[in-house]
Amino acid sequence: MSTHTEHPAPQGREPLDLNAPGLTRFDVVREGARRDDIEIVHYEPQVLPGTKAERRLTRVVAGFFLLTGLAATAFLAIYIWWPWEYAPGRGGDKFYTPLLGATLGVALLAVGFGILTWGKKLLPKEVSIQDRHEGVVDEDSRNITGQTMLYMADELGVKRRPLLGISLLAGLAPVAAVAAAPLVGGLISQPHKNNQMFTTGFAAAEGGQRIRLVREDGRPVRPADISSGGQLTVFPGIEHGVSNKHADSPTLLIHLRDTDADNSRRANERVGHGDYMWGNYAAFSKICTHAGCPASLFEQQTNRLLCPCHQSQFLITDNARPVFGPASRRLPQLPIEVDSEGFFVAKSDYTETVGPDFWERP
Amino acid sequence: MKRRKFDLAAAPGKAAVGVDDRFQVSTPLRKLLNKVFPDHWSFLLGEIALFSFVVLLLTGVFLTFFYEPAMTEVVYDGSYAPLKGTPMSAAYASSLDLSFDVRGGLVMRQMHHWAALLFMAAIVVHMLRVFFTGAFRKPRETNWIIGSLLFWVGFLAGFTGYSLPDDGLSGTGLRIASAIMLSIPVIGTWVTSSIFGGEFPGEIIISRFFIAHVLLIPGLLLALISVHLGLVFKQKHTQWPGPGRTNNNVVGERMFPRYALKQGGFFMVVFGVIALMGGLFQINPIWLFGPYEAWVVSAASQPDWYVMFLDGSTRLMPAWQINIPIGDGYVIPPLFWPTVVLPGILVGLSTMYPFLEARHLKDRKNHNLLQRPRDAPARTAVGAMAVSFYVVLTLSGGNDVIADKFMISLNAMTWAGRIGLLVIPPLAYYVTYRLCLGLQQHDREVLAHGVETGIIRRMPDGRFVEVHQPLSASNGHADGHGELEYVGWVVPKKMNRLGALGPAIRGFFYPIEKPVEAPVSPGHPPVEPRPERAEIGSGDSRR
Amino acid sequence: MTSDNDRRRGLLARLRGRPAVRSRGRRRLGAAVRLIAALMLAGGAYTVFAPGAQAQDNPPLTGAAAEGKALFDVSCVTCHGRNAQGVEGRGPSLIGVGAASVEFQVSSGRMPLARQEAQAHRKPPVFTDEQVRQLGQYVQELGGGPIVPEGDDLHEDGNVAAGGELFRINCSQCHAFGGGGGALSSGKYAPSLHPATDRQIYAAMLSGPQNMPVFGDNQLRPEQKADIIAYIQETLKNDQDPGGFNLGRYGPSTEGLAIFLVGIVALVFASLWIAGKS
Repeated sequence: MSTHTEHPAPQGREPLDLNAPGLTRFDVVREGARRDDIEIVHYEPQVLPGTKAERRLTRVVAGFFLLTGLAATAFLAIYIWWPWEYAPGRGGDKFYTPLLGATLGVALLAVGFGILTWGKKLLPKEVSIQDRHEGVVDEDSRNITGQTMLYMADELGVKRRPLLGISLLAGLAPVAAVAAAPLVGGLISQPHKNNQMFTTGFAAAEGGQRIRLVREDGRPVRPADISSGGQLTVFPGIEHGVSNKHADSPTLLIHLRDTDADNSRRANERVGHGDYMWGNYAAFSKICTHAGCPASLFEQQTNRLLCPCHQSQFLITDNARPVFGPASRRLPQLPIEVDSEGFFVAKSDYTETVGPDFWERP
Repeated sequence: MKRRKFDLAAAPGKAAVGVDDRFQVSTPLRKLLNKVFPDHWSFLLGEIALFSFVVLLLTGVFLTFFYEPAMTEVVYDGSYAPLKGTPMSAAYASSLDLSFDVRGGLVMRQMHHWAALLFMAAIVVHMLRVFFTGAFRKPRETNWIIGSLLFWVGFLAGFTGYSLPDDGLSGTGLRIASAIMLSIPVIGTWVTSSIFGGEFPGEIIISRFFIAHVLLIPGLLLALISVHLGLVFKQKHTQWPGPGRTNNNVVGERMFPRYALKQGGFFMVVFGVIALMGGLFQINPIWLFGPYEAWVVSAASQPDWYVMFLDGSTRLMPAWQINIPIGDGYVIPPLFWPTVVLPGILVGLSTMYPFLEARHLKDRKNHNLLQRPRDAPARTAVGAMAVSFYVVLTLSGGNDVIADKFMISLNAMTWAGRIGLLVIPPLAYYVTYRLCLGLQQHDREVLAHGVETGIIRRMPDGRFVEVHQPLSASNGHADGHGELEYVGWVVPKKMNRLGALGPAIRGFFYPIEKPVEAPVSPGHPPVEPRPERAEIGSGDSRR
Repeated sequence: MTSDNDRRRGLLARLRGRPAVRSRGRRRLGAAVRLIAALMLAGGAYTVFAPGAQAQDNPPLTGAAAEGKALFDVSCVTCHGRNAQGVEGRGPSLIGVGAASVEFQVSSGRMPLARQEAQAHRKPPVFTDEQVRQLGQYVQELGGGPIVPEGDDLHEDGNVAAGGELFRINCSQCHAFGGGGGALSSGKYAPSLHPATDRQIYAAMLSGPQNMPVFGDNQLRPEQKADIIAYIQETLKNDQDPGGFNLGRYGPSTEGLAIFLVGIVALVFASLWIAGKS
């Protein structure tokens, strides 16, 4: 362990003759401690053998252990016989987990306090002092180890033969790379495959094909489905459109009141999105531009959209501009219209990047 | 053939001799049995973390038998009726089965989660103890660094575990984690895409998190904890100053039997508390969150408490976006600063603190004696500043719950957090510093003048003075009492604490009036001290 | 828009003394034009009708509505004005909000308002159920609007699993996964669903009180509303937590509090006892 492992006899004390007659076991223990530079300076039984106090404490400890047995048995009995299968409403099954936890907890606490009482109250109190030997550094030993290492370096002769060192490094560096390569190479994945960072499930709308907005159950949406002051979460009407495969596509379709819709249209025109709304309906990405949570707490009187994760607030009637909180970018708006069958469709994909920001978003 | 009689009583001894013949363990074992540990309640805080880690391993192994780390879509058909027929990932379905269709599975899952929270809480509390008492100073800087790393590795363990059930809440957390990785300049998209195997959420993240959560991170934790404990063992524990205690010794109890018994008992107590909490307090009711769907969220979506400070910093961050107008234009989103830069700074500051302090104080000595927080006012004040910073962030992480339940405006909470984050830490520094100085001064005053007795005496000239009980006999000083030197330990400030280090009345919850009769037992003869050492006794005998 | 249409239709129909007939056709073209036309018609009908009502001071109200008007004129007229036309800066017009809105606001004690605030709070109701019904009938007869179906148990046939899915997608973002409510911007909040009755939840979905979005019958069909109510009443409120005390279902915030207040405190006491001088 360290350089000072053997200090059999501290200053000026002869080691005890362990074979000396009349030696008690405690003498041997103390001698052992002394050989480890420990002095037991105080050793005092807390209870005398045979006293009332000892009997009382023994009973307490035994009581704890018996309580453990009782609680553990109760645990087993409950585990086996208590009705545990979930049934709706209130009932015995709802007490299964609490009862298991309570019995297990009591069993463990009782054994714990039993052991603690035993150790704390029944065993003798002691104060021992151990030397740290920390300041005592063996200079010789330090010197020898240092010289040995330098000697080894000399023998290897890297200094005299630099080519060896350089070639070793040159040889080992690629080996290290070999170790890292499969891991990195296996994991690495091109983020811009299929332009996925910049497109959503509505991307197919680009090809002239109109993607319908559908509900979570796949039904397309008519204007009449949303009351004024209402909102509906819609998805691209494509295969797997309503799934985590298109986690960036969920959209909030909002039916604004007349005056709010007018404001919203004017705001749209200011940013060149004049035809993004249809009537009083506007569709915004539900994925927060801050950290990607669904920003979906729509306040129909203030027309604010709140994100529950970091409290960014977006003003719908002003192009969903962030008005409070950490979000720095407005929610992208989906250009929508109604097709010949009277269902909402996306005119195109989102024209701004959906979801949380990243470095190369132009 | 005569059979040799088997002597049962001698068997253990014989076996022991046999073992020692082969492995020569008797000397190291004696050293181990004899190792002295100092005794103070605050030295047990780290053990809480260690023991909850053991509970985490035990319950975690149980959970792996039933959990299925797959994102394949299944339709739930378990016994929890309100989710029957709901499409969900296999991971979520197996987490539900584990809660409702495995006998006793729910209590194990809850114990695992509570143990994780306790693990992190105990790490933090232990870290505070080490910080405020100066236990991180040379030679223990390495262990401080390992300890801080343990917090961050535990943080990762907790986050990966929180994500595994793939419920609505954890999926939201995962979504935010992906956004955090995306926000890293230049490499963000590559990192995210590589970890998630494509665009969020992909189909592989749960199984990757699973192997990280059950193998890589626990392995790392185990390694760090082993080194941590090994170093404590090698360097020996620090101790408080006090009678007979010096920088070069350890005063306490030998490891066996009493200390070890206490440790064993404490393990059972920690385990028991976790079991009680796991059974009696419901944690993370994943069946109410529903499966993770990118369009579903709940109000008050929060991470576990040890991640909440990052959530808070994110909430408080103003919407400062940096645009870099080169080429198509690049952007550093505001999310980057509170979630990547801030933790980076915190890791750096916390791990480097021992060296910063030593450099500042030009302190190159070894320190095995602890300092009372009041005796290092600058450090204590810095610590108070750090704690208040952390607390403001953590509270801000739950500011929507606070706003809702205490009827405060949400926007006001955010602003209070922003201002508080700037104002409260310096205030905490100042107040703590003054408090420390005040406490120091009072200690010195008592040492110089004695303890207040509550006896008021009227002087001949009509003044009233309180009589002080001097702590030491007069040494010919002009005012009739001598001045004691401060030794870095508790100064008795009440009459009933005089003459003893602890309260004169014994008993933990209620006083035990009867004094212990001085025991002398034949089994344990009274011990006479080694001549060169003073016996532990009253405060006067300190060296 | 549809509701505007229905509203007008309902109003005219009642004037003609015939039941309202819902039509789902003819919705394709020029919805905006139709909306404006609808509004103009409604407004026109109102301007034609309202002075007459004032002049006569004896509108053709049914018995219950007349009772309701009496209550209205005592308790509500200050803010909502004569004949519920609204008072600028004090209270909105109630023309067209329907009995559902009245039922929600009055039966949950939110109205009459105690004072002007960011949001009305739930209070012990001032009016009895019968009075609420009369007030609702009065407002209904004034301007039409959505009505909550009869009966106190509106979730008999509800399916909790379907309701759970709908709850998570439509309700949990504001009312939280456990229905305990949550904060909105600037002091507003989504209230807890725990004190709410079936009728109040139904009325809230239909009428969109305060900042809550409207969930009309076209968006959430009545049977879907029943599913949601079933999920709230059966699963969120009536289903006992299987894992012990639920810590208020506030999520990880209270769990974090609990680990410090219970776990750490208990274990610190234990270590104080263990290391204490006995």
